[in-house]
Amino acid sequence: MKLNRQQWQMIIALLLVAVISTVLLGVANILTRAPIAQAERQALMSALMQVLPEHQNDPVSDTRKITLPGHTQATHFYFSRNQKNDITGIAWQVTAPDGYNGSIHILMAVRPNGSIHAIRITRHKETPGLGDGITKNQPWLDSFADQSLDEQSLGEQSSDKQAASNKQWAVKKDGGDFDQFTGATITPRAVVKAVKKGLEMFTKLKSALLKNNKSEAFEGKHAQ
Amino acid sequence: MHSNTMDANTSSDIQKSDIFANGFWHNNAIFAQLLGMCPLLGVTTSAENGFWMGAATLLVLIGSNLVVSLIRGVIPANVRIPAYITIIAAFVSIVEMVMNAWMHDMYLILGLFIPLIVVNCAILGRAEAFASKNTPMNSLVDALAMGLGFTFALVLLGGVRELLGQGELFGFEIFGADYPDVLMFILPPGAFIALGFILAGVNIINAHIQKRKENKLKKSMLKEEDVLQKTNAIATESQP
Repeated sequence: MKLNRQQWQMIIALLLVAVISTVLLGVANILTRAPIAQAERQALMSALMQVLPEHQNDPVSDTRKITLPGHTQATHFYFSRNQKNDITGIAWQVTAPDGYNGSIHILMAVRPNGSIHAIRITRHKETPGLGDGITKNQPWLDSFADQSLDEQSLGEQSSDKQAASNKQWAVKKDGGDFDQFTGATITPRAVVKAVKKGLEMFTKLKSALLKNNKSEAFEGKHAQ
Repeated sequence: MHSNTMDANTSSDIQKSDIFANGFWHNNAIFAQLLGMCPLLGVTTSAENGFWMGAATLLVLIGSNLVVSLIRGVIPANVRIPAYITIIAAFVSIVEMVMNAWMHDMYLILGLFIPLIVVNCAILGRAEAFASKNTPMNSLVDALAMGLGFTFALVLLGGVRELLGQGELFGFEIFGADYPDVLMFILPPGAFIALGFILAGVNIINAHIQKRKENKLKKSMLKEEDVLQKTNAIATESQP
């Protein structure tokens, strides 16, 4: 097949446009790569700051990747440590797949004894004014604090705290202890379910996750 | 005099102010052409979101109009559309990376709507209808006007929805804490309803402008007739 002059012109013109665009994109990519990484780190940092207890280390880099059964992507666990390098909290992201409008991403932080320190919604598409109360209703978010699964770490808590930790992991409409919102049950239900699942997962992985603890006291307890 | 102004409209050196007025209002992407509805309805839950979406579109429009105008003699007509799309896509990707780097929060809010600027027909429309036929300078003015007009429309709709839906404007409380948020305006149906009312308002304004123009035209025609009669009268008087 022989191409005529006009066809060659078209090919060369398109090729040039594509090549120049690609070069420009490459340059832009190089120039923005570091700032983008920095911005993402900053966003993660501020999110972690809000859920993790006070810490002396840098949780963004104090991280472990574990691929959970049934997941294709690894889950990142972020650790906060006190001055003695003991783990004071572990944060990771859980996903509630059954939100009213798509998945809800939740960052949850748990203390080594298995009680929740704080949770925060990082991404969602719930209805404004109804379901999005999960991000705006601070008392509701705070109601997760200090909660744990029933069989968890009872020995480490005082008896009156024990009573509080026996919350039923469901919204009130389903006979549980967590509030739902006016006009929105599905969203809080999904969040409660996802956080509960996260705690269950933590129970299973607890020894593996805490093994990394550099504190001698803790290592002594858990060393095999 | 009369024939002179007519020529100016059809010849290549169009007045920059005419291009601007045309792009910003008379041929506004939203109000007149009803293009770019997807980002318009999708992101305008607040005035701020509308503003940044508009700004991103404006930047892409400036870049694409300028480049398309610069290469307008070089690209063969048969492959111009793929070439324009490639250029637009490159600018969109650059804007997306820049926003991701330096406006991370807004980047997360606008999300998918930034890459979707590629298929905003208002941009390809300007490349095809204006930039491919006009000088780089005029194309730049056109892009600026079109982009600002688009931004104006987005901020207007976003502002109305934010004000009615949350009692706020650009995040500032306007109606006070007691305002019962009309949620519907934040939800998608509210976008359509608010847009309908805005378009109705634009039509009223345009009708007004039209009327004024006609009145002016009538007046000037009357004056011309007047002058003509007078000159005729003078001519006939001075004839003998």
